[in-house]
Amino acid sequence: MDFTEARTWLWAATLLYAVAFLGGSLLARRGAGYPSFLLLIFVSLGFFLQTRGLYFRGMDTHACPLGNGMERIQFIAWSFVLTYLIIRLVFKLQLLGLFTAGLAVLLSLASLLPSGLDNHYWKAPGYEKLFASPWIELHAAVAIFSYGVFALLAVVSAMYLVQHSALRHRKVSSIASFFPSISQLEAAAGKLLLVGVVFLSVSIAVGSIHWAKDYENVALPKLVVTVGVWILYMVLWSLHRMRRLYAKKFARACLVAFLLAMVSMGTVSGKGKPVQANQATGADPVVGFLNTQAIPSLRGLINKTRET
Amino acid sequence: MQNLFLLGCSHHTAPLEVRERISLNAEGVQAATQELSALSSLREWAILNTCNRLEFYGVSESNTARAEMDEWLSRFSALDANAFLASAFWQEGVGVVQHLFEVSSGLDSQMVGETEILGQVKDAYADAVACKSVGTMLNQLFQKSFQAAKWARTHTGIGRGHVSIGNVAVELATRIFGNLSKSRILIIGTGEVGEATVQSLQSRGCRSVTITSRTFGNAADLARKFQGSAVAFTDFREQLDTFDIVISATDANDIILQFEDIEIARARRRGHPMFLIDLAMPRDIDQRAALLENVFLYNLDDLSAIANENLRQRQKEVESCKESLAARARRFWDGIGST
Repeated sequence: MDFTEARTWLWAATLLYAVAFLGGSLLARRGAGYPSFLLLIFVSLGFFLQTRGLYFRGMDTHACPLGNGMERIQFIAWSFVLTYLIIRLVFKLQLLGLFTAGLAVLLSLASLLPSGLDNHYWKAPGYEKLFASPWIELHAAVAIFSYGVFALLAVVSAMYLVQHSALRHRKVSSIASFFPSISQLEAAAGKLLLVGVVFLSVSIAVGSIHWAKDYENVALPKLVVTVGVWILYMVLWSLHRMRRLYAKKFARACLVAFLLAMVSMGTVSGKGKPVQANQATGADPVVGFLNTQAIPSLRGLINKTRET
Repeated sequence: MQNLFLLGCSHHTAPLEVRERISLNAEGVQAATQELSALSSLREWAILNTCNRLEFYGVSESNTARAEMDEWLSRFSALDANAFLASAFWQEGVGVVQHLFEVSSGLDSQMVGETEILGQVKDAYADAVACKSVGTMLNQLFQKSFQAAKWARTHTGIGRGHVSIGNVAVELATRIFGNLSKSRILIIGTGEVGEATVQSLQSRGCRSVTITSRTFGNAADLARKFQGSAVAFTDFREQLDTFDIVISATDANDIILQFEDIEIARARRRGHPMFLIDLAMPRDIDQRAALLENVFLYNLDDLSAIANENLRQRQKEVESCKESLAARARRFWDGIGST
């Protein structure tokens, strides 16, 4: 076992999240009380190991590790757990830790199991660093962090829907009886949405500085999708703020928005154009179906429009 | 050689009319305490006296404790000894330990899993300690029974879910609003069921109570009792949107809260949920309101079904809990024997 290898630490973190989720579920089902402190310990330990894993990968890539699918999903899971640990200090939501651990396991497994997701792009000949500028790196990291916040928002929304359904169908002895109230869940969802929108806005603001300078290298689908996700969440936030969208519909919308955001991840490459001598090795297999070098850039689209 | 025994009578062995004749008031307990101290073979004793049981726990030096207790009871004038002895049960040794563990845990209660009994057992023990009638054995027995009760509550489902209409309503309100201290309640009607439900909600922190009734005087009287306010029956619909929880329990034959009233109130609340509790028979609230987004309507049948389901769930746990407590009782008894 290589303890300088990122994946070793990431697997260990996944194991701890799994223990937290399975152990917590079992104890809650047996009616032995909800082990919130124990769960916090396991989730915190898992988070520490995951941080260690991402640190080792960052040392390899000389950047925030966002260069392939595995890294990006791991970073989302990391951000999502970090957000949980922070918001836990602000407001306590019973069982949120359990579902945080559950989603962290799912995301971790989804990133670690498919071997094709984790191409070792930094080992390619001529590779120097992942991002051409620290601003792009900041943009990518903050954007992915906001996805982590939206993941937690999705968890809270799912809990809302379960509680709502249990109350509607008079299922009093279901697991929902341990959940927070629907009012608490909706209030928490509103705050998480605001935090996510703020981070995504900051990311887009930082990214737009780069795009303005170098728009010929900005892939159009990436731009459209990123701005699309931002607009989607902005609209959600505005409608919720104006109380035009609330309760079950709001929770459903938050879940759908997160699914769309995750699907859109395929188009959003974190690295743009890697800095390396040999450009032929820089393609990201994760975005292979939407290879940034194969899709039209803004400059290309403008030129095409002029010709016609 | 010391013999641990229990002579008792409870709702399992005696019907209500018998329990009424054998219940002891404070003076009766005091008299029993004094008279038991005069029994020479009795080393330790404690009396557990509740509305559902009268139990004498004792440690005797002789093997004829039962006969001595019977003889004493026949002389004791504070209760009907014949009625008591006709329904009494007798336990010795580990059976006493197991019984007290089950009583403290609420397993032996009429409402399985209730917690009030633990307080009553603690009071009985405190009284016995105050009059210095407990020694090493009963001290250990009662302390262990408190631990057993805590274990049963934490590790089994016997206390899970509420089994009274009022507490079920409170649980549902908590699942909708969380902290109830800021929730505003409106009671329509001044009946006992509604009153009991409000008492449960107030015990969980609800502070703002408004009452309306066709007879304003009745509403005002009840409002004083709950330190709330009264609103005229003709006006309350206009203010409906300002209430989070509405409890209706009138004896009217027609619908008091129409679908349209609730729809208007819901729209004015801008997405804040409403919890409507219809405790009336026939029903006071238009059942179509249950279809409205963010309106949670429960009627008497719904609440009763939940209470019964909770009770069934508790009863499912009884046997496994009894087995665990029996094992704990055996360990405790073996431990006493080895010391």
